[in-house]
Amino acid sequence: MNSKLMNFYKSHKPYSQFLLFGIILSLLPLLVNLGLVKYSLLTTVASILIYSIVALGLNLLLGYSGLISLGTAGFMGMGTYLTAFITADLGLPFELALIISVAVPMLIGVLTGLVSLRIEGYYLAIATLAISEILRKVFVEFDFVTNGFSGKQAQYPKLLGFLQLDRNGTYILIVFFLILVMVMMHNLVNSHTGRALSTMRGSEAAASAMGINIYRHRLLSFAIAVSFSALGGVLYMHFVKYTYPNAWILMLSLNILAVIVIGGVRSISGTILGAFIVFGVPDLILKRLPIIGSIDGAAYIFNGLLIILVILFYPNGLINMRFDIQRNFRKLFKRGEDLNG
Amino acid sequence: MDIFVQILLNSLETGGIYALAALGIILIFRTSVTTNFAQGSISMFSAFLATIVLIRTGISPISAAIVGMLFALLIGVLVDYFVISRAQRVNPVSKQIITLGLIMIFLGLAPMLFGTDPLQFPRFVYGSYSFFGATISYNAIFNIVVGLALMGILFFALQKTKWGLSVRATASNDVVARMMGIPTAQVTRASWAIAAALGTLSALMLAPTNSVNLSMMDTVQVTALLACILGGFTSFYGAVIAAYLIGFASNLLSFYVSSIWSDSILYLLILTVILFKPTGIFGKKVIKKV
Repeated sequence: MNSKLMNFYKSHKPYSQFLLFGIILSLLPLLVNLGLVKYSLLTTVASILIYSIVALGLNLLLGYSGLISLGTAGFMGMGTYLTAFITADLGLPFELALIISVAVPMLIGVLTGLVSLRIEGYYLAIATLAISEILRKVFVEFDFVTNGFSGKQAQYPKLLGFLQLDRNGTYILIVFFLILVMVMMHNLVNSHTGRALSTMRGSEAAASAMGINIYRHRLLSFAIAVSFSALGGVLYMHFVKYTYPNAWILMLSLNILAVIVIGGVRSISGTILGAFIVFGVPDLILKRLPIIGSIDGAAYIFNGLLIILVILFYPNGLINMRFDIQRNFRKLFKRGEDLNG
Repeated sequence: MDIFVQILLNSLETGGIYALAALGIILIFRTSVTTNFAQGSISMFSAFLATIVLIRTGISPISAAIVGMLFALLIGVLVDYFVISRAQRVNPVSKQIITLGLIMIFLGLAPMLFGTDPLQFPRFVYGSYSFFGATISYNAIFNIVVGLALMGILFFALQKTKWGLSVRATASNDVVARMMGIPTAQVTRASWAIAAALGTLSALMLAPTNSVNLSMMDTVQVTALLACILGGFTSFYGAVIAAYLIGFASNLLSFYVSSIWSDSILYLLILTVILFKPTGIFGKKVIKKV
């Protein structure tokens, strides 16, 4: 029986790995209920998972199209406000809110992309920076919908109109969406589109000579990145239950970018690792240290330095460390054999 | 008429602030081939330093500005020495991300060193002058003149001096410039230093109307980057002219349409212009070789 399970696990990689990861994550509420870990840890992990979803979308954009979006926070914020407005103010079901809150930011993203993706890659970063500023202005000024600076509230989601989730249920929902997004990313990268994106990454000129429409693929990867940001926003809103304009500043977009760079570009597991480093380490470790913990901005400096160091000295991201460690181990053993022989 | 003169004068001042920041971004773009997103953060950081010096020692605002710009020169050199010069083989996208990492470092350091409260930086000169029914403060005249003079000197230096020639050579082809014996590393370092100083001056010109705080340069940074797009990244003067145009449009919009939404409308307008004129108003089409 056990070996059957092992065989199933091995033959269905990486899906079985994703599933296992999901099951392990789902055990966390149980541990909290048993009193083995702190109540607040669930919030930290949930937000890390939400940022992982957002970063996975952006990883496609940065990793395969070489484009940077600085509008991540803006689009995420837009997702939170839309879903809060639809479920709390209009009283419509969660599922409808989810669809609309992902579709509308995606549409705006596509419009931004239509303008800026035609030219050099770095135009997108500047255009999304401008769009993000406009969105933040909207969050503040449209106070009849957004409540301005005081922020807006929502409730835990109610699935299919009768299944009211609590804090743990919403956490499980986030895990479910994360695994879904991981599977989607894996399939997309290994599909026809994914291969086209890989070719583009090698050489845009060669790719377009082979008949790959660069503009369309850039637009596609940007649309996916934006929709994942908005999805992250929706989940954030229904877990944290509160949103306000200053949560959606440039710093968040930079942190998401840090997740990808530090974890590993074009790697799904790297993105998850990066999210745990960027959003977990400051929360779980830095704040507990005696002197550094009390300093404002220590987390920013930590992430900023890490970005620069990783780019300069470890450009494939920290996820590749395991290969290096393996190689060094092997070297160590070999040397031992040599000495013995 | 008098309203229009007033708007024109205001535009010269705001346009000058944008132009100084944009010129710094272009200078770095041409020599390091990266859009420097950290320009605003470095300027904010140096503006804080200048303000702290002003408060502690009580020197005049003009001397404080000079001290701040000297600090900025040093910061520019340090940033290039420790980070940018080591990233020559890094691809352009990663270089951009490095400048984004710099934002995080400066935004993290600033509250640590200077506290989280906004500080006040006084005007350079006081008093005002009226003509044609419009009022202009001496400070605004001072800002306009200093901005124009500085940019004039810089353009003169770019065209007529040996330093300017080496900057232009590095900008047009880094490898060939090095082969011709131009010290491109020093040219790049000088560009980072000068860009930081220009940004700091624009921050200190802006400071009296607002305050010295962590997000003081956000709007200027976005506007300056858009000015570079609008003017085209290919020329030095395009971005400066575009910055003045944007300053003018911004003042027109905030007077005649809405003071809250003027920036947002302006950003959308600029993006629309790019849709029809992708290389910018003054940009040349760059033909890429495979």
